Amino acid sequence: MLKAQIIKKRREFSVNVSLELNKGKSLGLFGASGAGKSTVLACIAGIEEPDDGYVQLGHCQLFPPSLPLHKRPIGYLTQEPGLFPHLRVSENVSFGVPKERTTDKEQSRWIETLRDRLQLGPLWHAPASLISGGQARRVSLARMLARRPALVLLDEPFAGLDRQLVRELIDDLIFWSRTLGFSMIAVDHQAEVLKRLCPEQAIALEEGEIVQRGRWDELDAAPATALLRSLLNPL
Amino acid sequence: MRVDRSWLARAGATIFALVLLYPFTALFAPIGPWQWSEDIRGPALSSVRVSLWLTGCAMVIIVAIGTPVAAYIARCRTRERLVWQAVLLVPILLPPLGLGILLTLAFGPYGTVGACLERFGIVMTNSAPAFVSTQVYVGMGYYVLGAVAAFDAVPLMLQKQAALLGLAPWKVFLRVTFPLSRLGLAVALSIAWVRAIGEFGAVVVTAYYPSGMPVQLWVNLQSFGLPAVMPLLVVFLAVALPLPWLVHVLAQRQRHA
Repeated sequence: MLKAQIIKKRREFSVNVSLELNKGKSLGLFGASGAGKSTVLACIAGIEEPDDGYVQLGHCQLFPPSLPLHKRPIGYLTQEPGLFPHLRVSENVSFGVPKERTTDKEQSRWIETLRDRLQLGPLWHAPASLISGGQARRVSLARMLARRPALVLLDEPFAGLDRQLVRELIDDLIFWSRTLGFSMIAVDHQAEVLKRLCPEQAIALEEGEIVQRGRWDELDAAPATALLRSLLNPL
Repeated sequence: MRVDRSWLARAGATIFALVLLYPFTALFAPIGPWQWSEDIRGPALSSVRVSLWLTGCAMVIIVAIGTPVAAYIARCRTRERLVWQAVLLVPILLPPLGLGILLTLAFGPYGTVGACLERFGIVMTNSAPAFVSTQVYVGMGYYVLGAVAAFDAVPLMLQKQAALLGLAPWKVFLRVTFPLSRLGLAVALSIAWVRAIGEFGAVVVTAYYPSGMPVQLWVNLQSFGLPAVMPLLVVFLAVALPLPWLVHVLAQRQRHA
């Protein structure tokens, strides 16, 4: 179970968000651009350090004190696939697998499963710097899953992708979250993406504060603020 | 009329190179027959060995100390980084002769550190350690400042992604930071090498002996005149250029591999 309270001062406002998430469940963080969603995610991941609060994942205390990044059982996907350009696709996918496990049969099968399910076969030996943006997102998803994280954080990982690819990636994430049992927090300013990816619960943020939390149908039925109503309205 | 811009750029670069290399036409100046007799060749070849071997040692020290220092500075906040950069600039902006005098006073037999080192048998004037330490002081700033710029060019987010994938900081450095900054590090190393191997002003004060190539050039000029300088200049170019150039070639190859 994830329990967190993030307090972080930004230039214009302070982010103050508390949340809880059971194992295997998903949560959508929703709000306008600049509402502080990505800050919350970055603080949970450890990319940024909160000014105050706490982050606890199961028995693992992530903050305070700040646990080093390499000890966090977290997968983190952002708009930028962040592939290592000097490595091949296969090397990127296996990047986080400890050297002593790379020859492990079970681990090899797992990597092959990821490769096949995410359709990475044709580009497996290609340099990561030469693949398309959509392919890079798949590779970065496979790389994250290869480590079997306990918690997956998604910071608008589908921005700029076509709808078909977004649908496929969302289906893949749902499939793997059920298979591996990881919890998932996703951030997006598009409600339809979050509703599909995290159908159970949502938190709406405005200027770093939670303005509403609950199920998506509750948010749709009675949005707490005019801005939230506007964001939830389809185009 | 349409002008091919790539040709225009190439022509510009060629003119630039010609101007840069123009002084080397003086190698063909009418100064009389070049002298390369045994009494000139012997010390000259010995100076080549001294320069290559001791500059190589200096580079090993510079890389071993300078790389972690550069990695640290690259992660510093702006204010602290500016302090470090000022510290690095001090030895390289000083006139080499001035640096040589300071090094002799500080590490010579009358300085505290120099006297202490002499007790352990390490003589810091006119010796191989004096030669190497002078080159380290001369080249370190160039290498570290270049290496900081090289590390800066590696996106911080990539390094954090690598850490989130379970890699300890030293592994992140070896598997991400170093490979992606290799070209910049190669440039930094080659500049340090070129600067150190060609150093005269500081070395002539701290380590007249063992004579490296720049000091030997000076000796040849004083003792035999220009005809004895020219062949050593050619030898200098022939032995000093390949290493930094090879480093560039290797870094480029790895980049495009």
